[in-house]
Amino acid sequence: MKISKLIISFISAAVILLSTSVVSFAKVVGDKIVLGAAISLTGKYSSNGVHTQNGYNMAVDRINSMGGVKVGGKTYKFDIIYYDDESNPKRAAQLAERLISQDGVEFMLGPYSSGLTKAIAPVTEKYGVPMVEANGASRSLFTKGYKYLFAVLAPANLYLDVAIDLAVEKNNGKGVTVAMAFEQDAFSQDVRLGVLDAIKRTGSKKVIDDKLPKELNDMAATLVKVKQMKPDVLVVSGHTKGALTAIRQISEMKVDVPMLAMTHCDAAKLSKQHGKNSQYALCASQWHKTLTYKDDFFKDGMTYDADFTKEFGYAPPYQAAESSAALLVFKDAFERANSFDQKKVRDALAATNMQTFYGNIKFAEGGQNVDKPMVLFQVMCDDGGKCENKVVAPTKWASAKLIHPIPSWSQR
Amino acid sequence: MSISKNNLILYFGILTFGIAAPFIFPAFKVQLSILCVLIVLATTWNIQGGEMGYNSFGNILFYGLGMYLCASVQVGMFFPLAEWTESGGEKTFVHTPAQFFQGMAVGLLVAAVVPTIVAGLIGYSILGLRGHYFAICTLGLGVAAGEISGGIEIIGAGQGFTTPPFPDVGSLDSRGEFFYFLSFFVLVLTFIAVRGIYSTRFKLILNAIRDNEDKAEAMGIETMKYKIVGWMISAFFCGLAGGIMGGLVGYIDSTDVAFDGREMGVFMVLMAILGGKGTLWGPIIGATVFHIFKEGFWTFFLGWQYVALGVLIVVIVIYFPEGIMGWLREKYPERFGEVVDEKDRKAQVELK
Repeated sequence: MKISKLIISFISAAVILLSTSVVSFAKVVGDKIVLGAAISLTGKYSSNGVHTQNGYNMAVDRINSMGGVKVGGKTYKFDIIYYDDESNPKRAAQLAERLISQDGVEFMLGPYSSGLTKAIAPVTEKYGVPMVEANGASRSLFTKGYKYLFAVLAPANLYLDVAIDLAVEKNNGKGVTVAMAFEQDAFSQDVRLGVLDAIKRTGSKKVIDDKLPKELNDMAATLVKVKQMKPDVLVVSGHTKGALTAIRQISEMKVDVPMLAMTHCDAAKLSKQHGKNSQYALCASQWHKTLTYKDDFFKDGMTYDADFTKEFGYAPPYQAAESSAALLVFKDAFERANSFDQKKVRDALAATNMQTFYGNIKFAEGGQNVDKPMVLFQVMCDDGGKCENKVVAPTKWASAKLIHPIPSWSQR
Repeated sequence: MSISKNNLILYFGILTFGIAAPFIFPAFKVQLSILCVLIVLATTWNIQGGEMGYNSFGNILFYGLGMYLCASVQVGMFFPLAEWTESGGEKTFVHTPAQFFQGMAVGLLVAAVVPTIVAGLIGYSILGLRGHYFAICTLGLGVAAGEISGGIEIIGAGQGFTTPPFPDVGSLDSRGEFFYFLSFFVLVLTFIAVRGIYSTRFKLILNAIRDNEDKAEAMGIETMKYKIVGWMISAFFCGLAGGIMGGLVGYIDSTDVAFDGREMGVFMVLMAILGGKGTLWGPIIGATVFHIFKEGFWTFFLGWQYVALGVLIVVIVIYFPEGIMGWLREKYPERFGEVVDEKDRKAQVELK
């Protein structure tokens, strides 16, 4: 064949291209500790990916400007290599591999969403790279026996079961009817399992159990059913798009339901985007600015909220707060380990017991944070149409009283 | 099939390079493995899209099927599958090295055989469609499979399916090496098989179907039979590729990893067209160029990678409508064994 020469020259060109593109960073260059992170800058999780990145950046700047990390008598500064995982687990796993084996990263920060964390965890585990993640809440992450995975957030099954308890309490302890609509992804499905547990525990009944597609932008079919069945509680979870779609269509279709419980309201900036239409929505949150936790770097939730808003031009959703907390955890662990040895850092992480502005952090055997409860807030609007998220449960943190049942659309 | 001396040197060179590659570029093992998988997908797509003229978007079905099957078998052989995929489950299962490799071997076998059978079963009805109808129908196949598998609890449904982690054998590099050599082996297997069938009457029949199916039928060729067999061959290797990819990625998601028609399904078409469809080497070259560009865009155009990719596609369509191989063929016809009659060419120019 005459083309063999062409093909051989083509292969050699490819070889040259590959070998020149090898760039290698060490994990600690000079006075920098280089962390790696695959973030969803594009794709269906892009808005939350950006929240995550902003949270990371905010903490890096803050820690660096307040003296950095002291290890072995020397001061180091944090630096992060980012890649875009395009909200795709396959890509995320590849990027983790790339960060570790090509860029030489020895410590990782988590991506956004449970699915992507699930894809990355086997890789970091294989290489013994400690990863502190702030946005993977699915329980299955913590039952695989991973030793190098640490999550600063409470697991997904705890997100909305409180809402069911609350509804039952309002119903004088009797069971309620629950309509559920969950996106088909690792996180939302785990939230669903938590709700199912709560339904069983309280003797409630599920009347609708719909699965919503990814890239969610229509749930009218579910809402038609809700109109017919008139459940006591409607539970929706589907990341930012799920929250936006639910509010948009509930207000368009004037669906009356006594309690509407969701996730990702603050990440979706619901109260800003939909104003009064989002009123009374009950939202699960890992964090709220009014919680009274404190640390040396961000002081407290209110200060974090103000600083973040100043820097990025919008109020921080909990996704940003927990991401910032991940860096605080890393700093604390490095200093306690007083070393950059991955095993020592891992052990120091496992022994973490600290308070940050975001909450207490203490890891269980599986790597999940067991020292921080979830909160529920409700979107409340004043007559001028200005809406705010106010914590209504648990009672310890509540700053407002739950409005229940939600007034019907004809009275709003 | 006869192999000329020149070809022998070429094949030997590529084989040596393939075996040495993970040691020359130890940091790129995963990318190289993915490249092998991409080449397999592009080469098998070419059997339909290039040789037979049936633009299939459905080959992703076999890829995804292979992925789920391989992982399910690998887990199911030793542990209860439902408990493995259940997210609320508290139990942790660990494969021993022997279990892992046995499971993988059987899993890959199933991943290859079942999609082949599926292709045979659905082929009769679907391959009866032609042109755009066929393309749209196969597009639906992938989408439907993604949605359906996203609802099957035993394979993790929307939660996804974590494939068994690689056991602790050898050094840290052994995982990468294992998957690389596995995918390279499948690539070689695919190449031998495809080259084999391209040197037989089978390819000519596929070409006849592409050029004029009715005429081919009129000449007494049972076109349906050949179309189905062609699809089954593609399905066999797509299934294998999927099985390997599942293990390599470590996490299977119904629509984003397995039945990933939006990416893999489109990429395989793009790669074959880029390299030149209807040729043996086209898809291989196309996949390699595509992969290198894509990886480069990722690194140097963060956030803009798809824009850059889009520009690349536009450039390909405008300047290389026949693909790289087609362009080369036009430029250097004598290298492809085509004799250009100078007199005749001149005469034609004068006629114009």
